Amino acid sequence: MTTSAVELRGIEKRFPGVIANHDVNLQIAPGTVHALVGENGAGKSTLMKILYGVQKPDAGTITINGETVEFSTPSDAIAQGIGMVFQHFMLADNLTVLENVVLGAEKLHGTGAKARAEVRAISDRFGFGLDPDVLVESLGVAARQRLEILKVLYRGAKIIILDEPTAVLVPQEVDALFANLNGLKEQGHTLLFISHKLDEVLAVADAITVMRRGTTVGDPDPSSVTKRQLAELMVGTELPSPATDESTVTDVVQLSVEQLTMIDEFGRTILDGIDLQIHRGEVVGIAGVEGNGQTELVEGILAMRPTQGTVRLGGDDMSGWATRKRRAAGVGYIPEDRHRHGLLLDSPLWENRILGHAYEEVAVKRGWINRGGARQDSERIVDQYDVRTPGIDTMARALSGGNQQKFIVGRELSGEPSLLIAAHPTRGVDVGAQAAIWDQIKEARRAGLAVLLISADLDELIGLSDRIEVILRGRLVGTFDPRTVTPQDLGEAMTGGQEEA
Amino acid sequence: MGKITALAAVAVLALAGCGSDDDSDGGDDNNAGSGGNALDCSAADGDGPKVGIAYDVGGQGDKSFNDAAAVGVKKAVDDLGATCTEAEATDGEAESAREDRLRQLADGGHNPILAVGFLYSEAVNKVAPDYPDISFDVVDGFDPDDEANDNVAYLGFAEEQGSFLVGVAAATKSEAGNVGFVGGVNSDLIKKFEAGFTAGAKAVNPDIEIQVKYLQESDPKGFNDPAAGKATATGMYDQGADIVYHASGGSGAGVFQAAVEAGDGKWAIGVDSDQWQTASETEQAHILTSMLKRVDVAAFDAISAVDKGEPLVSYQVYDLKVDGVGYSTSGGFVDDITGDIDGYADQIKSGEITVPTAP
Amino acid sequence: MTRLRNIAIALAAPLLAIVFSLAVTSLVIQISGGSASDFISILFSWPADRLLVNIANQTSLIYLSALAAAVGFRMNLFNIGVEGQYRMAAYAGALFAGAAFLPGALNVIGALLVAVAVGAAWAGIAGLLRVTRGVSEVISTIMLNAIAITITGYLINTYGIKAGDSRRTEAIPESSQVPGWQPFDKAAGEVWTLGLLAVIAGVSFWLVLNKTRFGFDLRATGQSESAAIASGVNSKKMTMVTLLISGGIAGLIWMPSLFGSAHYYGTTFQAGLGFTGIAVALLGRNRALPIAFAALLFAYLNEQSNRLTIEAGISVEVIQITQGIIVLAVVIAYELVRRYRLRAEEREVAQAPRPGATTEEVSA
Repeated sequence: MTTSAVELRGIEKRFPGVIANHDVNLQIAPGTVHALVGENGAGKSTLMKILYGVQKPDAGTITINGETVEFSTPSDAIAQGIGMVFQHFMLADNLTVLENVVLGAEKLHGTGAKARAEVRAISDRFGFGLDPDVLVESLGVAARQRLEILKVLYRGAKIIILDEPTAVLVPQEVDALFANLNGLKEQGHTLLFISHKLDEVLAVADAITVMRRGTTVGDPDPSSVTKRQLAELMVGTELPSPATDESTVTDVVQLSVEQLTMIDEFGRTILDGIDLQIHRGEVVGIAGVEGNGQTELVEGILAMRPTQGTVRLGGDDMSGWATRKRRAAGVGYIPEDRHRHGLLLDSPLWENRILGHAYEEVAVKRGWINRGGARQDSERIVDQYDVRTPGIDTMARALSGGNQQKFIVGRELSGEPSLLIAAHPTRGVDVGAQAAIWDQIKEARRAGLAVLLISADLDELIGLSDRIEVILRGRLVGTFDPRTVTPQDLGEAMTGGQEEA
Repeated sequence: MGKITALAAVAVLALAGCGSDDDSDGGDDNNAGSGGNALDCSAADGDGPKVGIAYDVGGQGDKSFNDAAAVGVKKAVDDLGATCTEAEATDGEAESAREDRLRQLADGGHNPILAVGFLYSEAVNKVAPDYPDISFDVVDGFDPDDEANDNVAYLGFAEEQGSFLVGVAAATKSEAGNVGFVGGVNSDLIKKFEAGFTAGAKAVNPDIEIQVKYLQESDPKGFNDPAAGKATATGMYDQGADIVYHASGGSGAGVFQAAVEAGDGKWAIGVDSDQWQTASETEQAHILTSMLKRVDVAAFDAISAVDKGEPLVSYQVYDLKVDGVGYSTSGGFVDDITGDIDGYADQIKSGEITVPTAP
Repeated sequence: MTRLRNIAIALAAPLLAIVFSLAVTSLVIQISGGSASDFISILFSWPADRLLVNIANQTSLIYLSALAAAVGFRMNLFNIGVEGQYRMAAYAGALFAGAAFLPGALNVIGALLVAVAVGAAWAGIAGLLRVTRGVSEVISTIMLNAIAITITGYLINTYGIKAGDSRRTEAIPESSQVPGWQPFDKAAGEVWTLGLLAVIAGVSFWLVLNKTRFGFDLRATGQSESAAIASGVNSKKMTMVTLLISGGIAGLIWMPSLFGSAHYYGTTFQAGLGFTGIAVALLGRNRALPIAFAALLFAYLNEQSNRLTIEAGISVEVIQITQGIIVLAVVIAYELVRRYRLRAEEREVAQAPRPGATTEEVSA
């Protein structure tokens, strides 16, 4: 039996009042891709932080290549050849590839020719195709991710942790990433791959470990386990699916966008003559690689950024209206980044009920905060949407992501909106909350709501939408019927019919 | 009077100097007891007048006129057996804090109460009527209203006369026929220095070019900004001046540095105290003379008046006649022209020359 | 229960900061040869009548200044320019009141309006620069402070009435002076009537910030500008309005003193309140009521400082040391309390009955 690259035994980590990890056992064979799966909150992140030296376990041992180690800081982990690629890239846009790589690792090969040669060598060895002197801001998402991997390789990592690396990629890019991972594996690297996308896990992993409720619950064999079995292992229950019920689309146009164009402060065209109509009872999904104008389309419709063109809601021409007036007219908004756009993290839940709804009687009466009303309605949302919180005086920050999102969904579906803009409504949300949010969107659609759905999760788009529009470089480039389209078709349209360079 | 002046001057040497440089503090640290020159109220236990002294911001040890006042009190402690209590202003304090300071001193039975700095004028005006038996003396002070107080004296100085004399010195010594004046703040008080200096210089050489610059319009920072003092003086030397007189408190340190850097033949003139005494060796070679403003003389005067039972009242002007202002000869750079300067001084004393108080 | 605990720890932080700061100051005094026991006993002895009056008066000025700073802080705008704003306003208000265009009380109201307008306008310059050109208000307000000192200095030097070697504005006619309430004998002075402006401003501050949509928008912008924009707040307008309000309150700072005792702008103008206000706002966590206590504390310490020098020979600067350490310590203490509370809440969330979920997923 060969020595494991990584072996975790009986890992336990307690936070005050919380057991984040307990009795975690994980064995990773060298030169393999090992998938760690589990829903959000299952303890994956804590485990990774322990393995990467960010946090110290309260009990248990970490063994790297047969040697028991203790990490106090990430540098200890790096010294042991462990590298981590975070889900959110940590790159400086205004620096070059080379500069980003050497930043903080200047001691290894300096910052000059030697470093450049090393970067080029790594890039060539694994087929990353990264030019050391290109500015990061000109790189696409996939290339940035390769750069992140290159960064940890440059620091000598032999064991690489990838935290949900596919969350930001389109299918073709995912395939390319997996090719890269296989390349790494062949050259003797060990990869720990964290995901909750089971298709991907089954496609790439040599071994799987499932976590649930802070502990490891099984190591199913990827060659024999089914997706369903895996999912049930993860959640301990049946897996929900986003499948739409029969169509509720009416012929009443609720949102009508004509020739919506956005030019940013640098004179670049971000949105280019978008025409879009959504009927009552219809969910229109927007598919696209991130950064092709989805965010801006939402911000344009909400007047958070200036645009040209016409936006009509029902019979009203909203083009000249400010954000607040548009929202007051009945636009609910589930923002893609709930921390930045959806919540006041350091305010209690009931105050968050008012955020963005200061026009509703229940939140504000004649300019005065309706404390009683807001509190009462917050209680209603907490009950109705199953927001797990000790109370409505709890700071939003203290809640888990899924519960924050459920609260936002509940808030945005209050006050009888006629249009819901939902940007990545289930991103970073656990399976239970995901199912609940899907149900709520479907229910609202049945009640006649028009929904603009933006998602990077193609399953979600296909499952929820009545119609899918693909956005590419600020233009709508294709319309698909979700009943017939495949992820591959969409991926092709999203990248303009060709692989991203 | 001459003896008093000499005594006080010696004390000033150790203590005072608005513009003294950082590297000049060898033995003149105010709490260095070695020389016994610093005022130490806790050690005074005579049976003379019980003096209350309210300093301006900085208090004793500011190497400026707070120290000069302390020298006068110290002399009273030594000569008259006076005892004393000190209090000190803080930056940005309320008017009521100044009033309270004076009241606490008055309630403590002090007489006279010396208030150092014109900022005390209003507070004294308010407090004095409540203590008719106590004599208040305000250095540089003024009566802010029309009702005269019969227990308040305003100790004013003829800074223009002293400035006139150093103006004479400057014009006589200047080879370039070009001198400069650096004022800390563009206030009426500092304008007196400018006016006297200009008049003195023109009296010697009517064609002399005089560059005038103020560091601040009204921000008191102008009195404590050596960098600005240096930049301004350097500019003047670059524009052809060979002697620069400063009336800018702590900013003067920068003026001296500028003179040093401008090289041989470039001079600076100090202010308030004999700044040659507190300057570094390299700077001493460039300090032509200093305009003396004898706050110590006035302070001692006020105390001894109370001691004699005839407290000072109303405006007291310390001019050349009473040695209230003057010029210093330390360094010996003006020894060859003291005759000329004293000649002008005599004409001022006799009234032949009237020095303007505003430019 | 939670509420009680929160109040208790919220109070503990500043109290500990004060105790810590007094301890450090005592140490400093002892090391530099003074008597720490004198310091403590004088500091805690009951102030004389006139000091009580002064404390009341100073509290009102400091409080107004702190409110002016706090309005900005609440929406993450660092108006460091309160100093310049109230100086300009004090000069303009004194000039207007001294000119006596209006009779009696009308003159007072007119001058107050002028002061508010000038303070707001001076802050508005920083607002305009920030909104149109993206200039940081920290930089612009600091610069505007220097400009304000120079402008008022120039005007007073040029047009002021000569008083000794200083200058001042025309005195306010007696009919427009607003003295105050004399709680003790005459020598102890009067509590300025216009000190009530501080009370009015404080109550309005609390009402507007906590009870109105405008206040909610302001706080939301302060907590998360992006979230506020998404919620429909026009952040540029908000920036402008907030700075105008901040400057307007700043305009009032010296008014109680002007009408109560100074009667003209001259040597009695009290400089530096703008900076005190920033410290006090920090100490009071930008909340209306806590700021009032913080202002009282600072006024108390300031007024006790004279006795320290006169009775114990302790340098007046130690009070500034004490105040400085209080602010530093309290900033640290508040951060610790904030983290403690967050952890406590997360613990509660975790204990809420739910299967298998933990809290560390918050931001993946």
